[in-house]
Amino acid sequence: MICFIALFVFAIMSIFSAKYRPYARQAFDCVFRRMTLRPCNTTLEEEVKGKTVGWLLGKNPAAAKIANAHWEAISWLFTAMMLVSFAYAVAGIANFVVYGNCNGPEGGFCIYNGIANGLQNPNLLSAPNTLEGQRYGNANALVTVVEFGCFSCPYTMAAEPYVEQLCLEYGDRIYFVYKPFPLPNHPYSTEAALASICAEKQGKYWEYRKLLFQNQSDFRQMGEPLLFMLANEAGLNNTAFDICYLEGQGKAQVEKTIEEGKKSGIYGTPTFFVNGKAVVAPKSYEELKAAVDEALANAK
Amino acid sequence: MVDWKKIRADFPVLQKNEVIYFDNACTTLKPQKMIDAVCGYYENYSACAGRSIHRLSNRTDEACAKARETVGKFVNAKSDEVVWTKNTTEAINLVAHALDFSERKKVVMSNLEHHAALLPFQRLATLGKIKLEFVHADADGFVNAEEWKKRIDSQTALVVTHHTTNTTGIKSPFAEIIKMAHDAGAMVLIDGAQGAPHSKIDFKKSDFDFFAFSAHKMCGPTGIGALVGKYDELEVLSPFMMGGETIESTTLTSMKMLPPPKKFEAGIQNYAGIIGFGAACEYLMGIGMENVEKREHELAKKLYETLLANKKVKAYGTHDWQKRGALAMFNIGNVDPNQAAVMLDSMEKIAVRSGLFCAHPAMEHFGVPKGAVRASLYIYNNEEEIEKLGKALEKIAELG
Repeated sequence: MICFIALFVFAIMSIFSAKYRPYARQAFDCVFRRMTLRPCNTTLEEEVKGKTVGWLLGKNPAAAKIANAHWEAISWLFTAMMLVSFAYAVAGIANFVVYGNCNGPEGGFCIYNGIANGLQNPNLLSAPNTLEGQRYGNANALVTVVEFGCFSCPYTMAAEPYVEQLCLEYGDRIYFVYKPFPLPNHPYSTEAALASICAEKQGKYWEYRKLLFQNQSDFRQMGEPLLFMLANEAGLNNTAFDICYLEGQGKAQVEKTIEEGKKSGIYGTPTFFVNGKAVVAPKSYEELKAAVDEALANAK
Repeated sequence: MVDWKKIRADFPVLQKNEVIYFDNACTTLKPQKMIDAVCGYYENYSACAGRSIHRLSNRTDEACAKARETVGKFVNAKSDEVVWTKNTTEAINLVAHALDFSERKKVVMSNLEHHAALLPFQRLATLGKIKLEFVHADADGFVNAEEWKKRIDSQTALVVTHHTTNTTGIKSPFAEIIKMAHDAGAMVLIDGAQGAPHSKIDFKKSDFDFFAFSAHKMCGPTGIGALVGKYDELEVLSPFMMGGETIESTTLTSMKMLPPPKKFEAGIQNYAGIIGFGAACEYLMGIGMENVEKREHELAKKLYETLLANKKVKAYGTHDWQKRGALAMFNIGNVDPNQAAVMLDSMEKIAVRSGLFCAHPAMEHFGVPKGAVRASLYIYNNEEEIEKLGKALEKIAELG
């Protein structure tokens, strides 16, 4: 069964180097024979098995024994995994073409964005030049954490507890700046960003921000009415909020941070810059904390 | 007394690679002297032999003539009894296609022959030109003289036998076969591919009619081999390939062929290969084939002791190392032979052959139609390498 995987791998490698073409041919022949219910007549399977089991034998004899005894089952498992991954990748590409995001209408972090922009490498991102945005903490702190986020993005929401914990743990030792970067494929992302600026004008940004993330799935469906309801819940002056929002008073600011984000090469939200070093969609608080600790150590 | 460590140092591949090379039945490594001879031709006098008369051509001519003499001396034959071929396969095909089977049609061979010996005659049999009969080996891999006697008779034109098999390293009882065949008026063709590299060959004394062998299995270059034939028998053979340098004169409708060996050597020859072949023979004669045989006996003893110490190793053919060369065909438990070969390479950099060794009927005979692993040793191998093979086999045997 391993010849299915070998065909896929060697076929791709053959595009770049002729030396893999005989292996690809062998794999194809093997796959063809297996699909026509005939035994494979090449030694490719034994070669792959020999190399794998031989390598394992040097590392872990018990694992080598298991791999040797259950090779066919393991091959099937890997083949199935490859086919499922392949199906997901194809679906992702289809979504990317149709919705501009590999997750479909749901949106979220999408690696194809980076590939499409040729910028999926965080090392290629550059920190913004200004610290304009919603701020928290000590402006003179040694470490500045800038977040480009989207209120409508599930990944920005997932990272919100990390931001809260960071502000709580580091207090005046950091200066946190949030720059709204509403993604067009997320519903009501720009509306939420504009509303958050109106809340800021009344000094209630952080309260409103918390409500936005807590009710993200709802406002993604209900849109503006819910944004107004949340303003009310946050204790904002309704009239002032309505005027600010309807006049689009935050528009210039949002457009500016979008421009900044584009210049920085942002390809997904949330993207953090910790003293200029990019951290894209951290998967844990520790990941973000490690970047802050490193920046603190370097700054001393 | 040969210093085998010094011999090992003659082989650049072993100096440049960390490898245990046990695939000598397929092809051996090459000593620096032979490589120098081949490169020397290309670097110093790369010209045609026998056609032009300028100084470079003369030099090639002389080098090739010397090589023919050396190769003849290596097997104790006259130089004009040595016909250049591409390899053993071509040498056997030459006999198969050039011999006259009009009066006697029967060809006898063993069931252990390499495809190089089997297939040319199988094809002739299929075309109805000969009648092919087989002598079957016993379970240990011996083809007894008594069995040959049952098949060789007055209808037999040719007996084909290996000198030493490529599957078990067991020698054929060719002295008795030759006597039987000659008594019956038949000729004998010896497939010497695995014999010439490991044993002292005496073409004249052994009374072979034809002896085929390849250079690359005995420290020489690839692409060159020889058919050694009794001169009067070569004279009556009709070449199956004609071309430049095979004739004395020709018109549009007729020609006069050159005498052997030239009449068989059509077209530009593999001069570098021929010169390298001569250098390889010189190299082995410098060591002494008696010493080569003795050393291989020592290696065979160690190899068999090591293999048989592992209960999961099943070695095919007789286990009596005194009756075979430093070559072993085996399987390890239920591990696929190709997988085992890859594992030996990846784990300990041990190069062995796996599969059916171009001898499918022989493998059927030994009950391993799916193949086996073959470790074949040569003069540069040593006991330490065999021990490493033994340890690697112990690890593989743990798999089942």
